[in-house]
Amino acid sequence: MRGFLTLHLGRTALFLITCTSVLAVFLIFLFVMRESLPFLAKFSIKEFLTSTAWYPEAVTPKFGTLALLVGSGYVTIVSIIFAVPVGILAAVFLSDIVSMKIRNIIKPIIEILAAIPSVAYGFFAVMVLAPWMQQKFGFSTGTNALNASLVLAVMALPTIISVSEDSISAIGRELREASYSCGATRMETIFKVVIPAAHSGIIAGIVLGMMRAIGETMVVWMASGNAAQIPQPWWDLSQSVRTLTATIAGDMGETEKGSPHYRALFAAGLLLLVITLCLNMVSEYFLIRAKKAGGKH
Amino acid sequence: MKPGIRIAIDKIFTVVAGASVVCLCLVLAGVLGPMLWRGGSAVVFKGTIEFRKMQLVLFGRGDEDKIAAESRQAEIARAKIYSTIEKFKGGIDPENLIEKARQIYRQFGNDLRQTNMSAEDVAELRSVTRNIRDRLESAFASSNTVEVNESLAYVLNFKDDPRFKNTSAAGLIGLAEQYSKDIHGINLAERQRYYQELRQVEEILVELLGPAPGSATPALMMNRFGATRWDLAQKLLGQLCWYEEWIKQGPGQPMVRRLTPRSQRFAGTEMEGLFTYIQQNLPEMLKPRPTFYWQYFTDDSTPGHYFGGVGPEILGTLLLTLLAMLFVVPFGVISAAYLVECASDNLVIRIIRMSINTLAGVPSIVFGLFGLAFFVLFFLPLFGAPSKGCILAASMTLAVLTLPVMIRASEEAIRGVPQTYKEASLALGASRFRTFVKVTLPAALPGILTGVILSLSRVAGETAPVLFTGAVALGPMPKSIFDPTRTLSYGSYDMAVGDKLAAMVPHNQFGMVVTLVLLILCLNAVAIVLRSRVFKKLAGH
Repeated sequence: MRGFLTLHLGRTALFLITCTSVLAVFLIFLFVMRESLPFLAKFSIKEFLTSTAWYPEAVTPKFGTLALLVGSGYVTIVSIIFAVPVGILAAVFLSDIVSMKIRNIIKPIIEILAAIPSVAYGFFAVMVLAPWMQQKFGFSTGTNALNASLVLAVMALPTIISVSEDSISAIGRELREASYSCGATRMETIFKVVIPAAHSGIIAGIVLGMMRAIGETMVVWMASGNAAQIPQPWWDLSQSVRTLTATIAGDMGETEKGSPHYRALFAAGLLLLVITLCLNMVSEYFLIRAKKAGGKH
Repeated sequence: MKPGIRIAIDKIFTVVAGASVVCLCLVLAGVLGPMLWRGGSAVVFKGTIEFRKMQLVLFGRGDEDKIAAESRQAEIARAKIYSTIEKFKGGIDPENLIEKARQIYRQFGNDLRQTNMSAEDVAELRSVTRNIRDRLESAFASSNTVEVNESLAYVLNFKDDPRFKNTSAAGLIGLAEQYSKDIHGINLAERQRYYQELRQVEEILVELLGPAPGSATPALMMNRFGATRWDLAQKLLGQLCWYEEWIKQGPGQPMVRRLTPRSQRFAGTEMEGLFTYIQQNLPEMLKPRPTFYWQYFTDDSTPGHYFGGVGPEILGTLLLTLLAMLFVVPFGVISAAYLVECASDNLVIRIIRMSINTLAGVPSIVFGLFGLAFFVLFFLPLFGAPSKGCILAASMTLAVLTLPVMIRASEEAIRGVPQTYKEASLALGASRFRTFVKVTLPAALPGILTGVILSLSRVAGETAPVLFTGAVALGPMPKSIFDPTRTLSYGSYDMAVGDKLAAMVPHNQFGMVVTLVLLILCLNAVAIVLRSRVFKKLAGH
């Protein structure tokens, strides 16, 4: 009886501790909402999402986050465009082309890229990349969308590479051997057999990379120029943009607690949280599919 | 398609894929290289006598007598600069000269009152002297050479006048003589320009060599010393010897920079040779010497980040990360243990796993908002602590942020322990709890430790979560965990973007971020080595 009791008591205690993560997620939502709800109740949510006017300290403050949302999406998409080809090629190279030995040398390099803190990347973007760009390409400012996107691409690469490589490696030898036995070259095998078979994992990797880019604060705050505008024309990467994360980080220090501006920033945080949550679900879906696909072969 | 072409395309693909990896390595080198190179110069550099003086004054470091002897030698080499400038200034600083002339005139007036001359004589003498003074003043103020020479000639007429012999008024004539000597060779039309450029030169000299001898000690610590580093000194030397102009080419066109040698700007005056002299004798004036400033990692910095090191930042970062680890490790390991050992695949466990994944995906800035809303504004006041950003709030925020990392790493480590270990223990009659504590946990410990180190390195580099919860750019050392602290991560941000003063000391900017990167890379290196050893050990079974 005593053993039974301690077993169950112990189990319950362990279970409760394990539930900390659930509690943490719950509290994050609760408290970010608690600070932002008064704002959402008072201002129109439609204007919050569709207006490009972000003048929080004006006499009649305007809280339109569209320009910031577009800014966030803009740098994220551009960085993913840079990162995906390089990332997939590198993942294929590591899993299918080189020997274990070289792979063991390159893996730590990717880990180091992932380990460098974002503020160091931001520092690099401002102090090294920005002056170089300004001089080399004659941009009016070195801190612009291109700068931020390039650095974000570098930051998203390790995630994309490691997740895609895992899923590509998980595709069994049989598929590859079947393809080779049909006379396909390595490239044909990779593009027509391996990548289609591993596509769920690769997509999951890309989505996770996007999450890293969209949630990144320091780099975009330091390198994107912080001008709340939608680039005109849209393909001009040399213009400054401003993202949701940078706005929160930059403005929070100057607001008064409880003011509409302060609450608007929390609302922006809530928006960010919802976006990443959706992306997280997408990546989760593809990861589960990748796991199933890997198990099949 | 022909097989040959297919094989060629295949080869090209291999090369392109390889190039992407090479590109990665180049990016790493491109990011780390310049930062390490420039940041390293915060610690290893050529320190000048000004650096040693600064170290003595600020930190009481170094041999006082030796430094005094060295700085005396340096001052001997510097003396010529100041005497040349003083002399040159005599010729071009009209206000100074006019003031001098007026003083002499006043003195002369006082002297006259003491003598027993008749009132008429005194009045006449006075008016003559006033005339002399006025002509002299106009000579000093004018920039027309003909006019100046006329005025000076008028004044010099009175040179042999017996009335002025051995009186203080003779000073006026002396002044005129000196001035005619001083302006010999100076183009008076450019006096105003000389005057402005001399001011510039003097300002650069203060930056290069410290305040001129005899001038008052500046109130700001940063102005009390000249160039403390040889690289900075050379940059200043460049500014000193080359005059920079921005020239408009035409409407709508960008301005173009033009450099002219300073000696050319001062051509024909005694200043002309000064710049070559400084260029040749700068080593004697500053006495540069290779310096290994390891105290950079322990020194406080004053004022701002101008002098000194990153000691408080390192301390703050360590405090934050270790405290965060203290919170997160027990929770992380126990959660992992439960998920591996006890949990079956049911709805609750799936919710827990989903929460862990969600937590891992929350942007770091949202953790910052959460930390502010929950820990700072809600949790701390609950226990009567002041509701402001502090080490405790920041480290708890960081602990929540790194919880998923910790859980995943520990889970992997515990899962990696071979089943045979547990079975052997269970077969001996040990309970499951005992088996976990005595067998599984020790076997998984290196793996867990790897996880701890990796989370440590993640926490140390995070900036956004501590922005509103306890990091400050500058401030006193924290006295308790209820005080905010300086951190390497926020410091790096602030020095790059926020701090105007820091832009003047690029080596310190890079030094801060390199300290952070090195700290994190060391932690990662330890984790990588540890993990490879664990793999080898587990592979043995």
